[in-house]
Amino acid sequence: MEAADIAGAWTAATLRATTPLLFALLGETLVQRTAIINLGVEGQMLVGAFAGFAAASVFGDPWIALLVGGMAGLLLSSVHAGLCLGAGANQIGSGIAIWLLGLGISSFYGRPFVGAEIVGFGPLVANPATGFRFVDQLLSQLTITTVIALALVPFIGVWLFRSRFGLNWRAVGESIDTAQALGLRPWLIQLQAILVGGFLAGIGGAVLSVDYTETWAQEITKGRGLVAVALVIAARWNPFLALPVALLFGGSEAAVLRFQAQGVEISSYLLAATPYVICILLMWIGYLRVRGNGYMPAELSRIFR
Amino acid sequence: MRVFGVAGLATVLFLVLASGFFLLIGQNPLTIMVDLVGFAFGDSYSISESIVKAAPILFCALAVIVPARLGLISVGGDGQLYFGALVGTGIVLAMPAAPLPLLMPAMLLGGALGGAVMALVAGGLRARFGVNETITTLLLNYVGVLLVNFVVYGPWKDPGNLGWPATIGFPPAATVPGLFGTRAHVGILIAVALAVAFHFAFAHGRLGLQLRVLRENERVGRMAGLSFAHMVVLTMAVGGATAGLAGIIETSAIQGRLQPGISLGYGLTGFLVAWLSGHNFLYAVPLSILIGGLMAAGDTLQLFAKVPASSVTILEGLLFVAMLAAAGIARKRQEAA
Repeated sequence: MEAADIAGAWTAATLRATTPLLFALLGETLVQRTAIINLGVEGQMLVGAFAGFAAASVFGDPWIALLVGGMAGLLLSSVHAGLCLGAGANQIGSGIAIWLLGLGISSFYGRPFVGAEIVGFGPLVANPATGFRFVDQLLSQLTITTVIALALVPFIGVWLFRSRFGLNWRAVGESIDTAQALGLRPWLIQLQAILVGGFLAGIGGAVLSVDYTETWAQEITKGRGLVAVALVIAARWNPFLALPVALLFGGSEAAVLRFQAQGVEISSYLLAATPYVICILLMWIGYLRVRGNGYMPAELSRIFR
Repeated sequence: MRVFGVAGLATVLFLVLASGFFLLIGQNPLTIMVDLVGFAFGDSYSISESIVKAAPILFCALAVIVPARLGLISVGGDGQLYFGALVGTGIVLAMPAAPLPLLMPAMLLGGALGGAVMALVAGGLRARFGVNETITTLLLNYVGVLLVNFVVYGPWKDPGNLGWPATIGFPPAATVPGLFGTRAHVGILIAVALAVAFHFAFAHGRLGLQLRVLRENERVGRMAGLSFAHMVVLTMAVGGATAGLAGIIETSAIQGRLQPGISLGYGLTGFLVAWLSGHNFLYAVPLSILIGGLMAAGDTLQLFAKVPASSVTILEGLLFVAMLAAAGIARKRQEAA
């Protein structure tokens, strides 16, 4: 293989591993921007992965699968919204409850789909011949979901920082009292954020099962939703920074898979633990930089330290 | 009175939600709930199986409550449990022929130490750098499971197992004794004793007061000469050690060897119990037995009614939702009054 081929294959593998996480990460960034923390991302990804996979095997269409997965995540996140906004429950506790529910529901109803086969998204271009081997590798290995995820980064970033809606959302995250004084309805904005976050987490889960792995297994997310919550902090609540941070995690995951496939002498279980360790390191670095300045939405820091 | 109001509201909410779930899966809510109670506590065998599940749940609940007395939210029970099992097993493998008076305490101490070390990764990051302990403990759960997989598939695998990933069987000197000839073991007694000891150490007296001051107002605590960071390290270490004990006791008494899948979600279940108890050490004891009963009954239900055991996870989630909703509503009412 030529160097360009290898570089292309690594880049593609990294991007593919990053894609499911990126959806969830962008969603949770928006949620936390409105001073809500949702640890239930893990559960929302799980129901998204299960519902998306089930839809793909029933309808045979990956686009419907993504939509169904997103709606499943949204539905589960509405429980978080009801508990936090309606009942005024503790947000951390509620997030764990959502996780338990998502874990239970996806395991319970997912059993018949273990081992089922589905048709995922094909490559962007089946047999590309652009003349650049690096580009050919990307076109033949990536799918449309990665393109959507990458496009979402500037879209959400500009929306959050440049639109009036984004300004309102950020205002709620900085001070609920001030936002209220400005005539906004904070609970409505937080509700919208939680549901959007749930939808994106569900899509992330569906991308994982329908596109990335094309399989359904119990607890398929293996903590990716929790990783997303951690990486929001590492990315300092900035959608633009979410991309490089997610790529670092996705890159480590892709590297682990490559090393395992090549039969490196290190135990595959030790290798599999490295992305979590890297995630903790990224979060730690994030905290070192967050300390003492105002990156964290002020209202969020009151409920979450 | 108010506590009973919350508990009552939570119970009613849970029964409504659970009935909805049972109807949804085509079961009669009334019969299945009666069945569940029977499967959990109907005869001496079911009671002993419920106690088997209650022991690690209670350890893991205590592991959540100790840091919670300082206001920390640790969800790392499973990771600490697994690493405790690993270190405790390491001691057994290092001196399998040692006599019981040496091996048993050393093994248990190793388990506690392993759990504490795992918890202190998160505790240290919190104490020194302010890194949120909830997320780090959650992530470390996956690390703990993978580390156990590493040793049982790798260096500690017993070649005599014909490929089955497990260490050698524990010698009798490293086997936590059972109770009355059942699978229930001394672990539950240790857990209850710890719950009582922690109640006096961390919820009352000088230390309990210090934790409460720091939890409610760190600045006041600092002015009184207390160190939040020191207390983070102390509570996380004690909590981790408790979960580590659950790991090594479960490995020794139930599995008889270290192998994957020691915990059936005991960490998360313990977290649920801790919150149901209102972070009260003593309330956690009966609640652990109740939830342990639910888990044991779920296994039986799978056998007889062909309802997958994962329904228990859904029920636990619904129970958590009901409790949070009830507590939140009660607090709102109180604020409004």
